[in-house]
Amino acid sequence: MTVTSDQNLHISSQSPLKEVARAFRQSWAGMLGLVLLFLVCVFCLAGPFIYMVDPFEVIWAPLTPPGEVANVPLGTDYLGRDILAGLIHGGASTLFVGLVAGVLTMTIGILVGSIAGYYGGMVDEALMRLTEFFQVLPALLFAMVLVTLFTPSIYVVSIAIGIVSWPATARLTRAEFLRIRNLEYVNAARSIGARNNRIIWRVILPNALAPLIVSATLTVGIAILFEAGLSFLGLGDPNVFSWGMMIGAGREYILDGWWTISFPGLMIFLTVLGFSLIGDGLNDAFNPKLRER
Amino acid sequence: MRKIGVMALAATLLAGTFGITPLKAEQGKPGGTLVMGTTQKARHLNPAVQSGIATAVPGTQIFATPLRIDENWQPQPYLAESWNVSQDGRSITLNLRKNARFHDGEPITSEDVKFSIETVKTNHPFKSMFEPVENVDTSDPHIAIITFSKSHPAALLAMSSALLPIIPKHVYGDGQDLKSHPMNNAPVGSGPFKFKEFKPGEYIILEKNSDYFLEGRPYLDKIIIKNYKDTTSLALATDKGEVTMFPFLSSTKDIRRLKKNDDLVVTSKGYEAVGPMNWLAFNTNNEILKNEKVRQAIAYGFDRNFITNALHGGQSTAATGPVAPGSPFYAADVEKFELDIEKANKLLDEAGYKPGEDGMRFKLKLDYIPGAAEMQKSVAEYLKPQLKKIGVDVELRASPDFPTWAKRVGGHDFDMSLDIVFNWGDPVIGVHRTYSCENIRKGVIWSNTQSYCNGKVDGLLKLAAEEQDTDKRIALYQEAQEIIVSEAPLAFINTLPYHTAYSKKLGNPPLTVWGAMSPLDEVYFK
Repeated sequence: MTVTSDQNLHISSQSPLKEVARAFRQSWAGMLGLVLLFLVCVFCLAGPFIYMVDPFEVIWAPLTPPGEVANVPLGTDYLGRDILAGLIHGGASTLFVGLVAGVLTMTIGILVGSIAGYYGGMVDEALMRLTEFFQVLPALLFAMVLVTLFTPSIYVVSIAIGIVSWPATARLTRAEFLRIRNLEYVNAARSIGARNNRIIWRVILPNALAPLIVSATLTVGIAILFEAGLSFLGLGDPNVFSWGMMIGAGREYILDGWWTISFPGLMIFLTVLGFSLIGDGLNDAFNPKLRER
Repeated sequence: MRKIGVMALAATLLAGTFGITPLKAEQGKPGGTLVMGTTQKARHLNPAVQSGIATAVPGTQIFATPLRIDENWQPQPYLAESWNVSQDGRSITLNLRKNARFHDGEPITSEDVKFSIETVKTNHPFKSMFEPVENVDTSDPHIAIITFSKSHPAALLAMSSALLPIIPKHVYGDGQDLKSHPMNNAPVGSGPFKFKEFKPGEYIILEKNSDYFLEGRPYLDKIIIKNYKDTTSLALATDKGEVTMFPFLSSTKDIRRLKKNDDLVVTSKGYEAVGPMNWLAFNTNNEILKNEKVRQAIAYGFDRNFITNALHGGQSTAATGPVAPGSPFYAADVEKFELDIEKANKLLDEAGYKPGEDGMRFKLKLDYIPGAAEMQKSVAEYLKPQLKKIGVDVELRASPDFPTWAKRVGGHDFDMSLDIVFNWGDPVIGVHRTYSCENIRKGVIWSNTQSYCNGKVDGLLKLAAEEQDTDKRIALYQEAQEIIVSEAPLAFINTLPYHTAYSKKLGNPPLTVWGAMSPLDEVYFK
């Protein structure tokens, strides 16, 4: 099924999602973000099959500048490992951490926020106090404690980021639920005997999704930055390449080898920019007031 | 005094290899403030109960010791104007200077020497220094006669630097616990500089002791030991001239950077007694690593030249055995474990570990000390792909902080770990602890955490500890080191590239074997 993008033809029969998709495609920011992210994904996922260099292998003299030797196009780091191979392999784990942490953040946040927002009263009080407890903890410090308690590994890092970042999502979800729970269509669902479970997940949530999807894309970007921060502080997984780890390890050599941190920094920048632009595009697309322009 | 003669002989041998001619201290001129930069934070300032550089550097300025050691490993008079070692080596007589006074004006007596030795013996982590001391005779206030249960040649070196500060009994002997004594933060000693102010983690200010027992010294008016939060900012401050002396400089890129500064001298002299070594330790209780062939294979499996030349930019030197090069007891003639992949593979085959389908024979975890990137993390990152070539699958295990690492390695909960350990002058102090069977002590870091035990080595070390003749002692250590190196409880990697950067305006910089951990009473501004 193709969706028509003809401006003059948006008569009623379009489904809301298609409406959004059409609007999204008109948003230059969103499309640019999508293209960026697509390129990053191709780079990371297809890269290992095209550029077959082990990122851990010492292949050339340490701190060889980019372009000096043909077989190490982006130069080498302080050990003599290929930066390009590091970028390719680091991307997969960086994206992995971003996605896992993003999914975890959204899952906990939506679960807590929707239950609190829907039931209200004591349940709301209790869950919101819990949320506030997590919110007042300094996120980076708390994540560092979690990673310190368990041995730093890519899974622990992802989970730690998820655990510290869900409160914002929970509050957002709760606010949406508070707004929607007394609207007519919810009352209508209730009047035909729908159970709470059904109302929460099938009636309210789909209508609350718009801001949550926007927030999810931003969350992934934030999680990637968070992972970079932890790795920068030396709390990343040393057995896995990640962009943050490359920057953290290379910062000592910034005066002797700018390329050791510039390239991974650029990759993080592009990826996070990609997610942010998509979030921006979705925000525009979900907003009916902007859609008509 | 035959001990001195023998030490002198060893020193001449050493001087021969390094081409050092003994420096005669230049006549200085008084005045000036020395600003010393460090990243090490002192917990307190009493080296009698605390080891480590952070306490030793200020500690050696505040407290005088019976002897000092010169750049040729020769003991020299200090608080003791002369000394005598008995024929059987079981007693040492120290003749104290009669004009020596503590900073509070009280005279120094043999009672203080006795009290200090007892304090160090019970409280200092280096138990082996004064463990054989039986008694200190104090019948003459200016003569201390120390008797030992056995001949103990390491004692002379243990009476220098920060190892035996003479602390006043009338201040520290009030019955309070010495490890937490309030005066550890405002120490009273007899050294060239008096305590003025200590702000933990920020600075230590020391002032000239005008009542110092050596006439006309010290030259400097003041020493400020300033804490910097990392070596990069300290190196920048040194480069700009804010810091006059930066001892224990070990980052190779900072060394290269500061060497380019025409106002500075950067030297690796002054760390011979410290003997800082970087090595790969094996837990010999591990099912795989208890096999000597596996350990040897790993030692053959990596290239020390890559680490010293490429990774450390030629600033560090390869370590080949338990004793650091620069010590008279260094054994040059041992197996060097030069990179030999073929031999390593053969040894692993012989050990019965055939490569699996993925080419890997077995998997081992590798720990490293956090925060010492160049010496530890980078080396670990090099070893991971390198040892893959001989079929050893290395998993790096990061420790978030030092205590976590120390708990793992000290608690024998590791397969392999990189580690940095100091020789501390005499092998009895800093070397025996790593190899003697009785020092396998779970929970204690820098003990024999490898759980290596060889009766022959143990016997040789015990004999060497008591041997008075330096040549024979050297021979005993040579034999012990050959066995240790070949059985490979550790794979030796490199010595730390410790350097001192100091302003060219300074005269008589501290370049004895103890470097900045010796009194700076001769240092002056030109």
